Amino acid sequence: MGDFLKRLAAPLVVVLLVLLTIVSMVGDRRARETGGRDLPWWQAALLEITAPMERLVSAPVVATRDFYEGYVDLIGVRAENLRLERRIAEIEAENLQFREALVASGHLGRVASMRDEVEIPMLPAEVVGLDVAPWFRSVLVDRGAQQGVEPGQPVITHEGVVGVVTATSGHAAKTMLLLDRQSAVDALVQRSRARGVVRGVGRDRLEFEFVVRGADVVEGDEVVTSGLGGVYPKGLRLGRVSQLRDAGGRLTRIAVIEPAVDLGQLEQVFVMLRRGPEMDLLYQPNLPLEDLDGPAPVGAPPLDSSAEDEGGGGEG
Amino acid sequence: MKSVAAIFAVGVLALVVQGALARTIPPPFCPDLAWLVVVGIGLRWPHFVSGVVLAVVLGYGMDLLSGSLMGQHALLRLVSFLAAALAARQLDLSGGVPVGIFVLVISVVYGVAVVTSLSFLVDANRPGFDVVGALLAHAIVNVLAAGPMIGIVERVQARFSDEEVGRRGANPLGFDSGRGGLL
Repeated sequence: MGDFLKRLAAPLVVVLLVLLTIVSMVGDRRARETGGRDLPWWQAALLEITAPMERLVSAPVVATRDFYEGYVDLIGVRAENLRLERRIAEIEAENLQFREALVASGHLGRVASMRDEVEIPMLPAEVVGLDVAPWFRSVLVDRGAQQGVEPGQPVITHEGVVGVVTATSGHAAKTMLLLDRQSAVDALVQRSRARGVVRGVGRDRLEFEFVVRGADVVEGDEVVTSGLGGVYPKGLRLGRVSQLRDAGGRLTRIAVIEPAVDLGQLEQVFVMLRRGPEMDLLYQPNLPLEDLDGPAPVGAPPLDSSAEDEGGGGEG
Repeated sequence: MKSVAAIFAVGVLALVVQGALARTIPPPFCPDLAWLVVVGIGLRWPHFVSGVVLAVVLGYGMDLLSGSLMGQHALLRLVSFLAAALAARQLDLSGGVPVGIFVLVISVVYGVAVVTSLSFLVDANRPGFDVVGALLAHAIVNVLAAGPMIGIVERVQARFSDEEVGRRGANPLGFDSGRGGLL
């Protein structure tokens, strides 16, 4: 009997472990369908330990890379400076035109009066680790639930969208990048307003799938978030169309997108602690104020009261 | 027990080093060091149950630092361990070339399993033909890193097994130094 049990132990352990992993996967899949999850305590504890360790071990690697890149960057800094000065002048001119247009349409005052109250709280975070598996694209950032980060919040840089928070522990959060195969974002072409879905394909480029009929998409078009889907605010940059190709004779076509953000070189990112309406304001100027409010952030003043108290004020 | 703790530490360290390497080496060319530790355990570890538990625990560690579903790498690492353990019993994998071929094949199968299970489990985008190139590149990098990683597992196993056998003396009390022992 003892010998029989001893022989049974190994297969039994294997079966139990297989069941455990399958249950974990199903549980995780369900959690993702409902917008992500806070990690269970033991996983959170492991992540809390691992995140600083990753930062520590990565530090010399990153420092060496930064030193080398800094040196190489110096070579072209003068030419770059001249180019940037020209670009700033162009952008200032463009900005002036936009402001003129807003004044003309009577919306600038409204935008200015709301600016202080409705600005989206942004939490700066540092990327402490990249995905250790080549088949997935995610990063680990050094801000978590203790700082108000929750699953489902968008992560961006000044250049555009990075991804979305999928899991959090106290002081760390896992962020799925746009490039991941599991990523899909409702998007539109800024110029023609053609709508479609931007998907990650696991490589360094994205694919924008859109319906051919009536869609006007050309190479060089800027693709931004549409605001639909409930994760990203409207108007955030996703990337630029670099190539158009057929999707195998279907009604849809695919545009290859060069991401706006260099997702392989991420260091500093911002977590948007709630959806903010100011982007929507630019595209949907007639929407009532209360319809534009996103989920309330941790410690942020309620939008309604502040808008009522201070409505009409703003920068000149 | 000491040997299990030591192998676990090697696995965790491999994960952390892999994370650091991922910051400079693009994804398909970054070796999966933690997975190679699991393969090393399957090939060289004499204790089945502790080996399979280690494989799953290290797999969960991978899941934690990756965008995979929690349990996905754990399950695939368990399968990798079983394949390695079975191959070690059935085939002569003592030389570098047979181990290299084995790692190449199992690495490609692992990649295919990750990508297909993702398409099956979540609404992920279907992989294109470009995946084949990434699979092969990753498998070759894994083969190159396999020697040192499996060597480390071997050395740790040899060092701590000697200590434990010495301490237990003539009566191993459940510690079976031959392949197939329970702990």
